[in-house]
Amino acid sequence: MRIRVRRTGGFAGIERSAEVDTAGRPDAGEWAALAGAALAAAGAGDGDGDRSRVPDGFSYEITVDGRTVRCGDPGLTEAQRTLITRVLKEGA
Amino acid sequence: MSAHTPVFCSIVPPHLLEHLAHSPRAAVAAVARRTLAADASARAARALPRPGSPPTAAPRAAARPHRTVHDCRHGTDLPGGKVRAEGEEATGDAAVNRAYAGLGATFDLFLNAFGRDSIDGSGLPLIASVHYDRDYANAFWNGEQMVFGDGDDEIFLDFTLPVDVIGHELAHGFTQHTANLEYFSQSGALNESVSDVFGSLVKQYALGQSAEAADWLIGEGLFHPNVQGRALRSMKAPGTAYDDDVLGKDPQPAHMDDYVRTSGDNGGVHINSGIPNHAFYLAATELGGNAWERAGRIWYDVMTGGTLTPGTRFAEFAAATVKAAKDRYGDGAEIQAVLKSWAAVGVPVD
Repeated sequence: MRIRVRRTGGFAGIERSAEVDTAGRPDAGEWAALAGAALAAAGAGDGDGDRSRVPDGFSYEITVDGRTVRCGDPGLTEAQRTLITRVLKEGA
Repeated sequence: MSAHTPVFCSIVPPHLLEHLAHSPRAAVAAVARRTLAADASARAARALPRPGSPPTAAPRAAARPHRTVHDCRHGTDLPGGKVRAEGEEATGDAAVNRAYAGLGATFDLFLNAFGRDSIDGSGLPLIASVHYDRDYANAFWNGEQMVFGDGDDEIFLDFTLPVDVIGHELAHGFTQHTANLEYFSQSGALNESVSDVFGSLVKQYALGQSAEAADWLIGEGLFHPNVQGRALRSMKAPGTAYDDDVLGKDPQPAHMDDYVRTSGDNGGVHINSGIPNHAFYLAATELGGNAWERAGRIWYDVMTGGTLTPGTRFAEFAAATVKAAKDRYGDGAEIQAVLKSWAAVGVPVD
């Protein structure tokens, strides 16, 4: 499973992105569960684009095996926040 | 401002000075009182109407800020625990005290320069939360309050450090209560630019800096010392604020020819804001003196004049500044400076 996070906006407007490939990782199951929860929560807002974001809040695109959802601060679920933090920290 | 003798670093807002003036330490109290007196005379001089200018709405005599600072204690529940209310003593937490002082500095600019009682014009309480999340390298306005992270200590330091960042966030509230520019594409870049303009004016007013003396930087002092850059944005020279191996180069354009089309950042609102930012800088420096007095007044009149719509684009905003300049100052240097500034960034006004 490939999980990609692209973060744009924020006060600085500086883009960051990172990707984790969970294939062969001992914690692949944990990643899959986290990614599933993050995508499920974003499902309702899918296609809404970035228009609902608060001024200077980060905008995120989470792409899991080709499917992309968008979300933004401060309206993240715990699963989304955890997934985003881990991918940006551990991903390449 | 030439008569203003700096006795305390005048970035210290009057509300904090008033507090210090009652300090049990006699020397501190005396210096604070002297600074307050110097500030009062300087502000009285600034508040005098210009010859021929129409009268401005007088601020309510009793207008005072109503500030509250909360501490998220590294969580994400807003607003977090209340740690400092209006008039309370400074705490031992510098982030809390900076947020409180920055709220006061922003309140001061809107009241003293524009006669506006808080960002909504009706005494709206000003609320800030600090220590949001962990290693959180951002600050934002959530529609009701300001939120500040501590930075990641690699690229960004604490977001309460630059007073213009605090002013920027509160100015999003000002925009929300006035023109309500949609946070997307050109209207979003205008929303961002208005926050940079008034954020910079908060800093210039607090420091008593003229347009010539100001650095016109946004977020100066926010980068970790390891980063190759002076600030996040430059209104004077968009695209030159930083150039770093990790972060890359400041992507802001200063001219419509270089307008950036992107799906990220709500259509590049933090990128293309460089264009109207530079127009304001050009108008303010062309006019000279204190930027909040004429250029700032024109931009303020546009935001509060009721002619903008949420979808306003650069050309419509530019036309509104020309009309506002004419309405307030007639056919003088002001309208010429505004016309010239928009032409220079490739947004000509018919």
